[in-house]
Amino acid sequence: MDKPTNVRNMSVIAHVDHGKSTLTDSLLAKAGIISSGKAGDARSMDTRADEQERGITIKSTAISLYGTLPNEEDLKDIVGQASNGVDFLINLIDSPGHVDFSSEVTAALRVTDGALVVVDTVEGVCVQTETVLRQALGERIKPVVIINKVDRALLELQVSKEDLYQSFSRTIESVNVVISTYFDKALGDVQVYPDKGTVAFGSGLHGWAFTIRQFAMRYAKKFGVDRNKMMERLWGDNYFNPKTKKWTKNGSYEGKQLERAFNSFILDPIFKIFAAVMNFKKDEVATLLEKLELKLSAEDRDKEGKALLKIVMKTFLPAADCLLEMMILHLPSPVTAQKYRVESLYEGPLDDEAAISIRDCNPNGPLMLYVSKMVPTSDKGRFYAFGRVFSGTVRSGLKVRIQGPNYTPGKKEDLFIKAIQRTVLMMGGKVDPIDDMPAGNIVGLVGIDQFLLKSGTLTTSETAHNLKVMKFSVSPVVQRSVQCKNPQDLPKLVEGLKRLSKSDPCVLTMSNESGEHVVCGAGELHLEICLNDLENDHAGVPLIISDPVVGFRETVSATSSITALSKSPNKHNRLYMIAEPMDEELAKTIEAGKISPRDDIKARARILADDFGWDVTDARKIWAFGPDTNGANLLVDQTKAVQYLSEIKDSVVSGFQWATREGPLGEEPMRAVRFNIMDVTLHADAIHRGGGQLIPTARRVLYAATLLAEPALLEPVFLVEIQVPEQAMGGVYGVLTRRRGHVFAEEQRPGTPLFTIKAYLPVMESFGFNADLRQGTSGQAFPTLVFDHWQILPGGSALDATSKVGAIVLQTRKRKGLKVEIPTVDQYYDKL
Amino acid sequence: MASELSAAPALSTPAEHLFEHVDPVALAAKRSEAHSKRRSDDELRAIYEIARTAREIKNGGWKRIALQFPDSMLGDAPWAVQALSAELASLPAASTEAASTTAAKPERIYILADTSYSSCCVDEIAAEHADADVVVHYGRSCLSPTSRLAVIYVFTQHTLDHAAALDTFTDEFPARDSSVVLMADVTYQDHVATLLAELQTRGYTNLLATSIIHDPTGRIPNRAIATDDPSAVNLQDYSVFHISTPPTALLLALSSRVKSLFILPTVPATSSSTPAAHRMLGRRYARVLSLATAGIIGILVNTLSVANYLASIDSIRQQIAAAGKKSYTVVVGKLNPAKLANFAEIDGWVIVGCWESSLVEDDSMFYKPVITPFELDVALHSDETRVWTGEWWGGIEGVKPFVEKEKAEGEEKNGEGEGENGIEGDISGEESEPPQFDLRTGKLVSHSRPMRRIPKTAAEGDAPAAVGEVAAAPNSSTLALRPKAELATVNGVVSPGAEYLRSQRTWQGLGSDFVEEDATAIEEGRSGVARGYTVGASERT
Repeated sequence: MDKPTNVRNMSVIAHVDHGKSTLTDSLLAKAGIISSGKAGDARSMDTRADEQERGITIKSTAISLYGTLPNEEDLKDIVGQASNGVDFLINLIDSPGHVDFSSEVTAALRVTDGALVVVDTVEGVCVQTETVLRQALGERIKPVVIINKVDRALLELQVSKEDLYQSFSRTIESVNVVISTYFDKALGDVQVYPDKGTVAFGSGLHGWAFTIRQFAMRYAKKFGVDRNKMMERLWGDNYFNPKTKKWTKNGSYEGKQLERAFNSFILDPIFKIFAAVMNFKKDEVATLLEKLELKLSAEDRDKEGKALLKIVMKTFLPAADCLLEMMILHLPSPVTAQKYRVESLYEGPLDDEAAISIRDCNPNGPLMLYVSKMVPTSDKGRFYAFGRVFSGTVRSGLKVRIQGPNYTPGKKEDLFIKAIQRTVLMMGGKVDPIDDMPAGNIVGLVGIDQFLLKSGTLTTSETAHNLKVMKFSVSPVVQRSVQCKNPQDLPKLVEGLKRLSKSDPCVLTMSNESGEHVVCGAGELHLEICLNDLENDHAGVPLIISDPVVGFRETVSATSSITALSKSPNKHNRLYMIAEPMDEELAKTIEAGKISPRDDIKARARILADDFGWDVTDARKIWAFGPDTNGANLLVDQTKAVQYLSEIKDSVVSGFQWATREGPLGEEPMRAVRFNIMDVTLHADAIHRGGGQLIPTARRVLYAATLLAEPALLEPVFLVEIQVPEQAMGGVYGVLTRRRGHVFAEEQRPGTPLFTIKAYLPVMESFGFNADLRQGTSGQAFPTLVFDHWQILPGGSALDATSKVGAIVLQTRKRKGLKVEIPTVDQYYDKL
Repeated sequence: MASELSAAPALSTPAEHLFEHVDPVALAAKRSEAHSKRRSDDELRAIYEIARTAREIKNGGWKRIALQFPDSMLGDAPWAVQALSAELASLPAASTEAASTTAAKPERIYILADTSYSSCCVDEIAAEHADADVVVHYGRSCLSPTSRLAVIYVFTQHTLDHAAALDTFTDEFPARDSSVVLMADVTYQDHVATLLAELQTRGYTNLLATSIIHDPTGRIPNRAIATDDPSAVNLQDYSVFHISTPPTALLLALSSRVKSLFILPTVPATSSSTPAAHRMLGRRYARVLSLATAGIIGILVNTLSVANYLASIDSIRQQIAAAGKKSYTVVVGKLNPAKLANFAEIDGWVIVGCWESSLVEDDSMFYKPVITPFELDVALHSDETRVWTGEWWGGIEGVKPFVEKEKAEGEEKNGEGEGENGIEGDISGEESEPPQFDLRTGKLVSHSRPMRRIPKTAAEGDAPAAVGEVAAAPNSSTLALRPKAELATVNGVVSPGAEYLRSQRTWQGLGSDFVEEDATAIEEGRSGVARGYTVGASERT
């Protein structure tokens, strides 16, 4: 690990159930961490009991492996980066595949440079494959692909060689389509090609895998040609004519179809082994083994059927060797990766001390470490801060500056100083203590967990800016409130909520206006797991858990019908404002952090004018973002030549933050509203236009403007992708229609009877959707739900208590213990 | 002096306030009086208990009398003064001792209008302006003990439709053996005894009546249960039948102490329905949580008469200081949002006042939450010990004298960080306190204990001095680089208020809002006469 050129940090990412953890097992077996007999069944990276029980990964788990290339020759194949010796350290993170846990993937990707994308041969590229790939590319992570579960294609589907080839190439193509869509200049072309060795094929369950490179090496000797040339020939439209003993690009010879080189040289031996073993032809197996120069122990030789198949294939094409080789050869080392990642990682200027040190992956530079998640320790309530050293060296006892997400250089806010107690190496469920850890490695830190909620930057440089905050592809939109059965247990619940909120990168625990403790998660499954953890582990007290509810947002659907006016309590100051809806694209851009209050005003104004059609003068006069100073509501100053305006700015902004945090309809946060200050008249004496007069007035006028602009509720909407065979499609449509779902795409997966249905489904209607769908399609449909956007809740005006929306508003108000009546404009609007 | 002031000073209560912010109880009283607009003298004498008041005044031998009316009854004030003085004049001096010395002097009566804080409390300050010996307090009262003056309470009894009340009761509690405590607002207290008797004739066996006592901290505030052994009564088994809407503070206090609470409305139900008590308690808890991470807390003095309010303020101050937070004490008179919003740097308020007025209902108008001393006590507990059972109390009576229990805890914490020495590559500076988890927002906040850093900064001041002594005598005139991001101090004391002004305010006086625009090169404009201007170099016609 002291040679950053020989380090590979990589995460394993894929759709749920494509076999990440199983595949990882074979790597662990190779490293001697688990016995090779267990590999494939143990899923030893699933360290939690519920992970093993449910058979899904919930938390990402890191492990460090030692890998070595078989000979020096191979080093030459490492393209575009230097390396130092044949020994490599591989830091590997196994991540969950279920979409509800995407935040774990994001946290894993941040600390790695490469990704092993696992794709199921049969199912092909699925929704989550696409999502994680997109995330990886967004973080400038280089992917390599393994097509997994090839054994299923052979044993269950009994496909022909050509069909299998076609299926492989289709899958690779769809992966490449995704990759090229998110092409990033700095990262370069990262499409995957089997003939370059960036695609492997294999079976995690049986513990075998191969790349074309491995076969090319075998045949290169035999044919006496260059290895690289051989690799090219073993993929695509290349044929070997056994008659002429010549290579050709032409698929037919003398009217007869030739066999593709990939099929005849690579698939053929595999098919033969399968056929021989599964048909119990002992002699044939023996000859094959001899031919392939494989030696089996006597004990193994006596096995039959699948057990024998597994042992033969594992000996023939060990998965670990293939994967290690692929990672070492094709994934970037930290030195290589940080060169192009620095600009997407670092918030500050790219020529300061910290940035340069990150770029060079300098172990002697100032420490720059990003903590991406917290891992629970055996000591209850304490956590390892899990992160990546981007520059400098971290060691026990080092005093560091801990910078939270809201830290700005030069300010004291969100800045803490603390000594690191211990540094450890994360080894799956266990840890190994270590003295220090230089740049380019993944590390666990003890003793700083109290200072960070979920993530943050650690540094020793006083001028360093933050490393960029991770943006998750999922949002916590489903919430349930929790309450302890026995009020005396409240402290335990509170402590549990704290721990829960640390232990998961995405979950949000807070309390609402009505004094309920609320846990928000990305989806039903995520929430279920979190609450389970809370009840049984973090808090350890019996809880009362409410039904899931959806958090709404308040917005406006039109421009205020008249300019709203409110007077201050002393009647000497008047504020005039209007509210108008904001472009949905702009709201999303703000939420994604691409337009933020920290931006340079002129640059931001330029973007707003060019991309969103704003008036440049308006765009330069944005007073504030809200709520929480970074939300997707804007306060724009459109006044002309008003005296004392800058004096009241703070007060009006305070009122704006307050009003957007608790909207007029049901005290839900506002979203996508633009408020324009039209005019202001102020008292000439400063004391008469102080905060006391203006903060409440600003809130009142904002409420009045909102209520005059056809206020509406926004509800979160899931994007649903359902894979379903044709005959069960009727059931899917039925369930979706009953739940206000709206199908917008339906396509057949080439070569399969499976259809992919894409639809929008309001989160509110999604509770129990999975069970309903299972019932409606007799278990044949597999949905993935991920938060996509906000949409205006249909069903009438929010101000009309008799409409559907009005009823929901009333219900919300009742639940929150507010006055039940929806407020009217004249409560906030003052006549001139 | 008064003539010079043409308008009210900026911080005072605006005139409209009186009519906008009437509490529901007063409003109810107002309505009930409105429909019997003109009452006969006899009725009024009965309502204002002129005879009893006069008797008590004579007995006490008081000469200067202040009459305090709630706003809704001010209209009757002149009549009451006349009636009372007539009554007093007609009464012979009761006590012989007093008669001998002061008989010659007639009593003087003053009317106190516009109470400083709330009409339920006795306004001792206003009474002292009139140098009064005794205050006669009319209308409903919170019965908080006063600190200085003698008080005569006149609750101004209201009428009640007994038949309707009895029917409602039997509807609500059909079982004849239900355990019910009969309670009434002070203005309906007279009816309790008669109702009890009537109900007992109807066959109810397990009823308890209440009588008024001056003890806001009792099991039922200000009420004694009329039974032989009150301590044997387990209130949890009893329902309460309350005549007339109780003040919200009472509602919240009672809700957790009794089995159930039934309210007999005495005025036709208004359109605004009040949310259930447990919802309101929930909202109070949300307020408590938001104060738990507040760094600066304002103590609002909302009474100058409730007994031991000064001791309570001291105790609250100490409590806040022990929690490492900063407190400011503010006296503003009657509360309104505009007054409190003038102190934008304060994260939350705690009211020191009588137990009824300490609860600010509908505080959604206020910029920052306003809570009661009891709630503050809960808020200042650390997360590990905070318990919210639904038990609730409004006033300052529950404020216990502050005990220093935090000290041991603090020392324990200090010990933790020791034993680690600097290593090369370290950065300077003391280790920070861990931030606090804000249960409201689910984020970490670092400013919840601004005053905890004081010992830290003091220690920092010592450390360089110690080093300096070894090398050379520290010279006070040597220039020292002051840490840039240090907290603002006033006279050497950390001042979060000043820090707020320094860091949060964007406008800091004239010139601070000056927008620097790019300089542009001067261009020659137009010149000449209308017949043909010259633009720049070229001539135009």
